Amino acid sequence: MQELGKIHQLIIHFMGHDLTFNVEVMIMTWIVIAFLIIFGISAAGKKSILPGPIQIVGELFVEQFFSLAEETIGEELGKKYAPLICALFMFLVLSNWLGIIPHLDEPTKDLNTTLGLGLMGCFIAHYTAIKEKGLKTYLKGYIEPFFMMLPLNIIGELANVVSISFRLFGNIMGGSIIILVVSYLTYSLFLPPFLNAFFGFFSGTIQAFVFTMLTTVYIALKAK
Amino acid sequence: MAIEGADIIKAAACLGAGISMGLGAIGPGVGEGMAAAKACEAIGRNPSEAGLLTRTMLVGQAVSESTGIYSLVIALLLLFVV
Repeated sequence: MQELGKIHQLIIHFMGHDLTFNVEVMIMTWIVIAFLIIFGISAAGKKSILPGPIQIVGELFVEQFFSLAEETIGEELGKKYAPLICALFMFLVLSNWLGIIPHLDEPTKDLNTTLGLGLMGCFIAHYTAIKEKGLKTYLKGYIEPFFMMLPLNIIGELANVVSISFRLFGNIMGGSIIILVVSYLTYSLFLPPFLNAFFGFFSGTIQAFVFTMLTTVYIALKAK
Repeated sequence: MAIEGADIIKAAACLGAGISMGLGAIGPGVGEGMAAAKACEAIGRNPSEAGLLTRTMLVGQAVSESTGIYSLVIALLLLFVV
């Protein structure tokens, strides 16, 4: 089977260890951030009573995810974490849609991005638990029903992080590999646009929503 | 032409990838079909809530698909890295 693609990496030798930077993924992430900044500035620029189209889209996002956060997490804590949930969803939706533009790749195609976001959600949840409930109650939660549950509870936390990040990574990477192989087999004739539409728009949006909702539920469970 | 050790490793990796993805696709298929069946039943009973039911069904199916995705990741690892 011939070579269908390559990953460009930048390896810096620093004090006896190797630092590896995946340059393509970083550039794609910067493109997504630039899109989001432009969208944010143009949506919230002049807050008019009769909104233009970009402001309508911004209000749609904010309304949906602020109400989701307040329903799931609670009233005062939800108001504090709602911007995080909204920003997480907008970043994930835009980065899953980026693969449709011809020479760009989704940044979530790399396990580093999704694992980073999953670990961020995990740290935020545990920090909230310690700040809300205090250190003693938080530590006592690990030996909750009886003492032998300690390894099971710890493995449960790790499994949550792993499953969230691997689900997003597997969906996006698997979709792009299927598109690559099918385009190679059919000489890019009829099928690839429909596959791109399915894997990019439909599956990408659903996976972004599932990731965001699972992070919200995770924070709500720990903060109770 | 003798069969070398490296060929056996490659053959075993391809076989493992096929078995992993093939057996791993059974579970999510059955589970998501059951979720869709319950959603159809519920829409038949209460057609005005069709939007909310469809959205909930899609989210539930996306979570239930994750074990299939794990076996896809293992199959890709076996094919392209071993």
